Amino acid sequence: MDTVLAILTVFTQPQLLLLVALGTFAGIYIGAIPGLSVTMAVSILISFTFSWDVYPAISLMVGIYMGGVYGGSRTAILLNIPGSPSAIATAMDGYPMAQKGQAGQAIGVTTVMSFFGGLIGIVVLALAAPFVSAFALSFQPRDYMLLAILGILLVGSLSSGSLVKGIFAGAFGIAIGAVGRDPLTFAERFTFDLRLMEGGISFIAVMIGMFGVSEALQQLHNVDKRAVRQKIDKIIPSFSTIKTYLPLSLQTSSIGVIIGALPGTGGDIAALMAYDHAKRVTKNPEIPFGQGAMEGLVAPETANNAAVGGAFIPMMTLGIPGDAVTAIMIGALFIHGLNPGPMLMIDQPDMFWFIVGALLTANVFMLIFGLTGIKIFTKIVEMPRSIIIPLILLLSIVGAYAVNNAITDVYWMLGFGIFGYFMRHYGYPLGPVILGIILSRMLDDNWRRAIISEREDLGRFFEGILTSPLSLTLFVAVILIFVSQTPIWRAAKTRLLGKATS
Amino acid sequence: MQPDVTGTTDHNSSTAHVQQTNHPLQRRPGELGFAIFLTLASVFLLYNAYGISGFRALSGAGSVPMATTLVMTITALIVTLRTARLGRIAGETLAKDILPVMVIAFIGLLIVFGLLLKPLGFVLTAALFLICAIKLLSRKGWVYTISIAFLSLVIIWVVFRVVFTVLLPAGILPEAEFIQFFRNLFAGGAS
Repeated sequence: MDTVLAILTVFTQPQLLLLVALGTFAGIYIGAIPGLSVTMAVSILISFTFSWDVYPAISLMVGIYMGGVYGGSRTAILLNIPGSPSAIATAMDGYPMAQKGQAGQAIGVTTVMSFFGGLIGIVVLALAAPFVSAFALSFQPRDYMLLAILGILLVGSLSSGSLVKGIFAGAFGIAIGAVGRDPLTFAERFTFDLRLMEGGISFIAVMIGMFGVSEALQQLHNVDKRAVRQKIDKIIPSFSTIKTYLPLSLQTSSIGVIIGALPGTGGDIAALMAYDHAKRVTKNPEIPFGQGAMEGLVAPETANNAAVGGAFIPMMTLGIPGDAVTAIMIGALFIHGLNPGPMLMIDQPDMFWFIVGALLTANVFMLIFGLTGIKIFTKIVEMPRSIIIPLILLLSIVGAYAVNNAITDVYWMLGFGIFGYFMRHYGYPLGPVILGIILSRMLDDNWRRAIISEREDLGRFFEGILTSPLSLTLFVAVILIFVSQTPIWRAAKTRLLGKATS
Repeated sequence: MQPDVTGTTDHNSSTAHVQQTNHPLQRRPGELGFAIFLTLASVFLLYNAYGISGFRALSGAGSVPMATTLVMTITALIVTLRTARLGRIAGETLAKDILPVMVIAFIGLLIVFGLLLKPLGFVLTAALFLICAIKLLSRKGWVYTISIAFLSLVIIWVVFRVVFTVLLPAGILPEAEFIQFFRNLFAGGAS
């Protein structure tokens, strides 16, 4: 009963409901406008909402997250520019549909399927999280350490072409997280004897720099790109259309939840894997993939929205973010004095159920806003970049300043923004940096706890890993990620499967 | 062009450059220099991390920093060696594709923004910044530029200063009176 009440908290306060609606609405646009990303929006928002109560702040962010993952599909369909990385796969079949004059139908199916995928993700989150957190209570410090490493490695290996660059980015993030006085021994780390470094580097400043400023600088290359307008007809899809694709959407939603729940991997990877899956299971598509196949829309869109619910599972139960946005949300919870992890689920179950309720509400709003207001939408998305870019930069500065009212944070933000700009250009992924910063403390604390409990003996430490089934599984997973990148593995895979499938 | 299904695109990067092809077998201008810089910086950080607590204890304050900087050094070195073996992409130059004048100009604008924020106050600095930035990018008339800049500044200021109650440097403008005015307007609205 308490659970139901906690889920319904959103409805008891009109202000919260309004914030979820507002967040979802804004999220759709943020996701849709190329150059604005949800990661960017949420990281800038943290700095503005940190003086709020935790419920309103979370309501707004959850709405933006849910809306943003969906919003990317709109520009993918209408302009062939995925508004967000999770909509890359959507563009492959969505744009050809729009070219044939079926943009309305494509948007309609996408919206309903996103809602469906989102719903499945949230249901799985609600059902699985309590079990995972109960299970997580038996985790040893070394398991947390391994999980943190696994998360950083996963995002590093799956999100960019080069695992080496991904690992570098992750390690760099951990190092940034270590700057300042060590909380246990009070030793200075990477402070270079500068007083301003003693408190560490504000991770919000780093985030805003990497996702706001560097993105805006990147966009300067495409200032003059013009949008092409599409004709839009009937939007709400027929029931029979939905029914036809229901079995596929169930499969791809499961892919989405699982990929989303893996630490470090989010909607973009889920969408691409689901697209790949749809291609393999659909033997005789009515229209070939890549030329406007409905399956090619259904699969990525259910998967990326299902991944939202999935991404919250490790975040709420283990304190390990499921993707870059949840990494930032963990930061937001920290700021509000909450400590995500198994104890949060036990001490403050209401918080968890509130988030579930907010996600559900956001999902419904997404459906409503998704099926309406397309006309205004096309106008807003065509807002020239010559205005958007200066605004993003301005918001980034305001955001970085607002957290501590310190001009130093603005400089950190600019520094990391410029650095991030180069990282983008040379193919270093930025996701692992943020994950590294967020997980740095957890990694450090748990390593020290683990090694102290083994009396500083590395042999006993590894013995502990090998004798515990959980630690061993995690350890093997970490090793596998490395092995999967070596030439020997690739050769073996080619020999076994004939031809690499993906 | 279909994006690669294994996801060669950057996780968080947007989107407009999703459509650019990645050149895994060629290096971009400045890429090698960047990799060498990262390697040297990593080595320096490793040395610095060693200075935290040395090899005294596995649980020392410096052990995780040492491990991470060691990983950074090794990976940066691998990247450098791999990059050095690649040939340069023909037709790309540092000045055109990596650091065009526009990007440098904007970095400059941002630094100036940071310098002026405290003494001049947020409203004036932001106004200057928006006018310069929009003028540079849109290359349209002054009326257009100034009216857009003014409009967006008003919206941003009302949303953040009044609704979100973010503290911004007031500088030389009598901001407090304005705010009281808006507070009265929004009385009973957002907390």
